[in-house]
Amino acid sequence: MALLEIDKLSLAFGGLRAISELDIEVNENEIVSVIGPNGAGKSSVFNVISGIYKPSSGDIRLGGESIVGRKPYRIARLGIARTFQSLRLFQNMTVKENVKTATYGNTKASPPESILRLPRARREEREVDAVATEVLSFFGERLAGYRWDQPAYSLSYANRRRLEIARALATRPRLLMLDEPAAGMNPNETLEIAELIGRLRDELSLAILVIEHDMHVVEGISDRVVALDHGVKITEGSFEAVATHPAVVEAYLGRDPEALAEA
Amino acid sequence: MQVFFQTFVNGLTTGCVYALIALGYTMVYGILKLLNFAHGDVYMVGAYIGFVVLEIFGGAHDLSVPVVVLLFFMFVAASLGCGYLGVAMERFAYRPLRNAPRIAPLITALGISFVLENTILLLFGGFVRSYNTNAFIPFSTGITIGGVQIDLVQILTIVGSVVMMYGLWLIVNRTTLGKSMRAVASDREAAEMLGIDVNRTIALTFFIGSAMAGIAGVMTGLAINQITNTMGFLAGLKAFTAAVVGGIGSIPGAMLGGIFIGLCESYSASYISSQYSDLIVFGILIATMLVRPQGIFGQRPLQKV
Amino acid sequence: MSVSVKRDQPDAEDNAAKREQTDGEGGATVEDPGAQRGSIGVDSWVAQSGERRDEGAGWRRVLAAAEARLGWWPRLALVAIAGLIFAQLSTNVNIQTVAFNSLLYALLAMGLNIAVGWSGLLDLGYIASFGFGAYGYAIFSSTALGTDGSGGSHLPAIESILIVVAAAGVVGAVLGLIALRVSGDYFAIVTLFVGQAFFEVANNVDPGTFGGVNGLFGLDPLHSFGVTVTTPLGYYYVALGMCVIVAAGLHLLDTSRTGRAWRALNDDELAAQAMTLSVNKLKVMAYAFATMIGALAGTLFAAQQDNVFPTNFTANILILIYACLVLGGVGSIAGAILGGLVVTVAENMLGSPTDAAYLFYGLIIIALIAKVRPWRRLGWVVAGVIGFGYAMHAIVGAIVPSATAGHPGSPGWIGSALKGYVIVPSNPQNFGNALYLALIVGLVAIVRLRGIKQLIAVIITIYVAACCWEGRLIVNPAITTQIMLGAILIVTMAARPYGLLGKHRVETV
Repeated sequence: MALLEIDKLSLAFGGLRAISELDIEVNENEIVSVIGPNGAGKSSVFNVISGIYKPSSGDIRLGGESIVGRKPYRIARLGIARTFQSLRLFQNMTVKENVKTATYGNTKASPPESILRLPRARREEREVDAVATEVLSFFGERLAGYRWDQPAYSLSYANRRRLEIARALATRPRLLMLDEPAAGMNPNETLEIAELIGRLRDELSLAILVIEHDMHVVEGISDRVVALDHGVKITEGSFEAVATHPAVVEAYLGRDPEALAEA
Repeated sequence: MQVFFQTFVNGLTTGCVYALIALGYTMVYGILKLLNFAHGDVYMVGAYIGFVVLEIFGGAHDLSVPVVVLLFFMFVAASLGCGYLGVAMERFAYRPLRNAPRIAPLITALGISFVLENTILLLFGGFVRSYNTNAFIPFSTGITIGGVQIDLVQILTIVGSVVMMYGLWLIVNRTTLGKSMRAVASDREAAEMLGIDVNRTIALTFFIGSAMAGIAGVMTGLAINQITNTMGFLAGLKAFTAAVVGGIGSIPGAMLGGIFIGLCESYSASYISSQYSDLIVFGILIATMLVRPQGIFGQRPLQKV
Repeated sequence: MSVSVKRDQPDAEDNAAKREQTDGEGGATVEDPGAQRGSIGVDSWVAQSGERRDEGAGWRRVLAAAEARLGWWPRLALVAIAGLIFAQLSTNVNIQTVAFNSLLYALLAMGLNIAVGWSGLLDLGYIASFGFGAYGYAIFSSTALGTDGSGGSHLPAIESILIVVAAAGVVGAVLGLIALRVSGDYFAIVTLFVGQAFFEVANNVDPGTFGGVNGLFGLDPLHSFGVTVTTPLGYYYVALGMCVIVAAGLHLLDTSRTGRAWRALNDDELAAQAMTLSVNKLKVMAYAFATMIGALAGTLFAAQQDNVFPTNFTANILILIYACLVLGGVGSIAGAILGGLVVTVAENMLGSPTDAAYLFYGLIIIALIAKVRPWRRLGWVVAGVIGFGYAMHAIVGAIVPSATAGHPGSPGWIGSALKGYVIVPSNPQNFGNALYLALIVGLVAIVRLRGIKQLIAVIITIYVAACCWEGRLIVNPAITTQIMLGAILIVTMAARPYGLLGKHRVETV
């Protein structure tokens, strides 16, 4: 049984079918990339999984349990964390606070307990601090110690992307969804991000679903690739298989009647 | 039955006044996402400007000019005076806060409110002033349909308001200025980059909205006679309700909302209780918020995720 | 001496070598220790440039440095000690009452801060919490629940207050649940009308039961554990204690998971949801907490006043509370306390003619010093103001003697000093009104003109302001207070949108 099972998922906005009868599976220790031209419905898939949209039909199961119709924060607590295509950090909070906040669902101290600093609250704060330190250390030099007390709005673009991933990791997810993690990064940064995602799979045994446009990244990290166009899965498989698939080529580059005639 | 229709006429009159004020609220909100709580006081200043014009021409009992001339000057003075007041407010108080946290303009608006209300108090004293309209436009002038008395002032108010609302509709939908206003309301930065003079557009929006509020003030003075320096607060609140119920940011919404609230107020005062009519109006607001938070013509803000 | 420029994206091999030499400061390459602090291109120095920019200049940097040196708790202790010392020093009952009021407003501002500052919920009906607490105390600790002015429950203060605050929490939670349906600006509107509705109900209720327009009287003073508080000084101590406890509690809450969650939901609600935060529950909690603290302040108010009237809970008071919070700095507990102090003191100073004069002229002087530079130009302006004034007085006095026959309105030495300076007719009302309008024109002129014309406008406007003040404004201190308060709000917001102690914020639209 796969960790994440998307089963005949459909999402329609009025007359516009954003997603049609989609089937995707993601297993633990696996990186699945979702590719497709703009408007293919990729971010919509993420939004349905995280509970921001309700699907028109179909099912989504995490570890066998259906999560359709649940509130976003419940889905997050069940173990699905994500980043956003257009960064959504807590701008006015510090780097460390951003990460610590994401541990909310895994802590239980109530306001009175927090105010009185009862033992459970104190213990949880120590644990939260440890989690934050651990997660931020994953990024090494990039989000180094002195940055931890800086407000998030002062970070560089690449660091903001990293922080968002760090924040998602702090929720201790089973499934991590990255929405265009390398967007806007230069070649060096892109390389780092790709390495990082690989490490996340290997060291933390995460299931990772990635939306990405940069084919170098997709090639470098993916165990499997799913190609979407107009809300429909056009093919799935290894990177080589998908990248050369005629329908995928057509979706990205348009039709080549001659080549088709030859094939 | 007669009471029913009389209440209707009265409500329609008040409603038109509310609509005029509400339009100012809604236009400014649409273009700046700012709730200008000082707008009700602009309406109040308009009423006092009208009063000053009345006094200049000899006062209610001793007019030195024909009534038509008087009315003309009252409306022109109020609209220009309040219009420029609105522009000044925008220029000196709100413009520095274009990029400030949203709560700052709120406090500024309250400060402006304090200053306006107390300036009038200082200049005119604490006792109520009166237009004494009956002295120059007797109650008897007007039409009577089947026992329902429609005062000349009421006719003036309703007709005048409708004309102005139509004029505004024309401006917003048929002129370049209107297009600029809609563009700036949609996306200020993009409008600026496309060559629209954003500052000028915003200033004109404030001018038009405040001018209409000023005219509404004069109309109220004519209709209700009594003007005080605190009349802006409650009227502003109700006009604000109207704007929200109609859908804040929507011009047709403000027009319909104003008339709707005016009618509700009139009917609850007539048939239920005049003491609690205000509460009923607020209750309508809460109900609208719960059932349709964006108002009748409002749109839910779109979020790209 | 060479300083190597470190690029943000490292070359893997280069870095390995350089890292050996690092001083642990995030990868900075140190060739010369003396050059470290000011070296351009050093990664950490660049990274912290934003902080330096935000630090501001002058007194704000001093403040920030102090803040960094002292922890939060020592600062709170300092405030508490200052409060105690102040109590020992003052014997004037009026001053003690003013001090009590400022602590009351500080408390109210702290409560409001939870909803507005931390959680981003614009609660425009907060006055209803205050009123709820006050009326609640009034009902339980008086004869209100009895018949015909006798009997009634006279609960000890502790019980009364606890019941009322707890009830406020429940009411706040319920209202919060209702408000969940609407978001952002609409939430603000709904709360605005809740506040208005409270006033209407309190005003229109049958006078026999809950006071109505006449209010409720004869409330018990605070008494618990055998101690009864009857003097202004006593209430001041109680208020000081409450403030310190609430400030401490709120700080502890702010630095805990709940505080982080509230601030996160203020910054980006959607992202917060995706990061496991139960946003709705948090909003209701914020609203409940704010209501509880507002109610607490209300009980203190009622006990100290000995009576409550509906007019204690109008929109004007709400505006003052907001002014306290925003002037002090939204989102900051210290700001709330400072704001409460500043607004209350300003309001009181404006109430008495002598103090108002100090405030008025003081503000003019401060504005001149702050805005007119260099010093030589300032000297010219001051000379001009003095010279112009005396000249005008002499000229006008010679032409129309009755125009200068009146006496300046300011009492004491200020009035005497200005006798030969300002133009005050024997009947200054209409003249004063005209001057007032001239003053407004003058202010507009100052902003629109430049260069020498601007300076002339400044000189003339200051003189007009002084004449207007002495002849007209000072005569009606109540009205003048409001005008000044409004003007102070407008100017402060334009100059410091984040408030005195507020931090720079980035808001995503």
